[in-house]
Amino acid sequence: MQAGKLALVAVAGLLLAGCADTPPAPGGAPGDPYEATNRQIFAANLDLDRMFLKRTAETYNRVVPEFGRERVHDLLRNLNLPVTFANDLLQGEPKRASQTFARFGVNSTVGLGGLFDPATTHFAIPDHSEDFGQTLGVWGVGGDPYLMLPFLGPSSPRDVTGMAVDVGLDPMTWLHFKQHVWWQAGRQYFQVLDLRSRNIDTLEGLERSSVDFYASTRSLYRQYRANEIRNGRPDTDNLPDL
Amino acid sequence: MPNISAILGWVRPAAVALLMLLPAAQQSAQAAAPAESFVAENIDKGLRILNGAQSAQRTTQFQTFLEGLTDIGRIAKFTLGNARRAGSPADVAAFDAAFRNYAEAVYQSRLSQYSGQTLKVIGSTEPNPGDTIVKTVMVDPAQSGQQPLEVDFRVVSESGRLVVIDVAIAGVWLSIEERDQFSAFLSQHNGSIPALVSHLNQLTAQMKSGGR
Repeated sequence: MQAGKLALVAVAGLLLAGCADTPPAPGGAPGDPYEATNRQIFAANLDLDRMFLKRTAETYNRVVPEFGRERVHDLLRNLNLPVTFANDLLQGEPKRASQTFARFGVNSTVGLGGLFDPATTHFAIPDHSEDFGQTLGVWGVGGDPYLMLPFLGPSSPRDVTGMAVDVGLDPMTWLHFKQHVWWQAGRQYFQVLDLRSRNIDTLEGLERSSVDFYASTRSLYRQYRANEIRNGRPDTDNLPDL
Repeated sequence: MPNISAILGWVRPAAVALLMLLPAAQQSAQAAAPAESFVAENIDKGLRILNGAQSAQRTTQFQTFLEGLTDIGRIAKFTLGNARRAGSPADVAAFDAAFRNYAEAVYQSRLSQYSGQTLKVIGSTEPNPGDTIVKTVMVDPAQSGQQPLEVDFRVVSESGRLVVIDVAIAGVWLSIEERDQFSAFLSQHNGSIPALVSHLNQLTAQMKSGGR
């Protein structure tokens, strides 16, 4: 049943990707034909963040000592490495795949089940993260149209499809043990909390200095994803014409 | 039977062409090195200023530092985009002045978050002659185990001196982000440059009074 659901979301995502040819609304930004709706969802997300997530993240920072928060962070990152490994292979990057494999091996053993990160601190194995949205990008699927999703934030049909496929690529999805659902829910909860708690000042600064916070987020997201897909290689063909 | 003279006919010009290319290649490498040292020296200088205590003097020092390091006028021109052509000279001049103040406040506010960390130059590429992208990595001693943050500086030579015309943080060029924002604002406000100028001035005042 899970596989069936995943397949549905993936197909829906790919169908939406066909909307990439939709022209922008008159006077609208390229690649964002649903801008009006997106702006409304963005405003709603900001309200939810202000009312719930940001406060929880601030409390988390205040109440949990840094040592504890770093352990949670390291554990979560280690649990995501199998998905990165699968996508490294799908993108045809054997060297990066072997680095991911080594990181997982070292951190799961020496790092006490992923609670610590000796792969970085003691073995200097380079770190990177991959997802199926990036894999689709490497395979040539574009990142338009821009979508602002409720709760999940900035995305695109490609990245939505990617998220669904990654659930399938994650071995944790298929390991059925006691309290499996609670464990997965807890993991997702802490993933969001961990990310939000590490970015409180940055996002505040961004919002305070933005001329148009929606457009700023859109630009940041699209450029950042494109950079992730290129694995950091500068896009020298499309440099801004200053 | 291959025509020996025909082969030799193109080998010599090819060899000459190769030899002519070599000095240019060396020149490229040489051009990259000054850009890298330019960035390294100015990073140190800038961080030293930002590491100082928050004060009016620090703000002025950073302002002077930025003006010497960058060509804010050129960045202003780019970020206003097509609206520049449609605007009156007075409006465009007001924008240039407002952008200058806004940019200084934004860079000071965003970069002072990173005080206590260092940027290490790791290399450069030269996509066009005289146009270098210097790659640096931010090293945060406090948050080890994070993927190191990449910060790129785009350095060009202008009237015989080097200037920074753009910065990319994690692959996001600030000039593009700013242009996207300004263009979105203008389309939400009937293309009014005075409205944008007023908004920029308001944001600048808020950032300055917010003590960041």
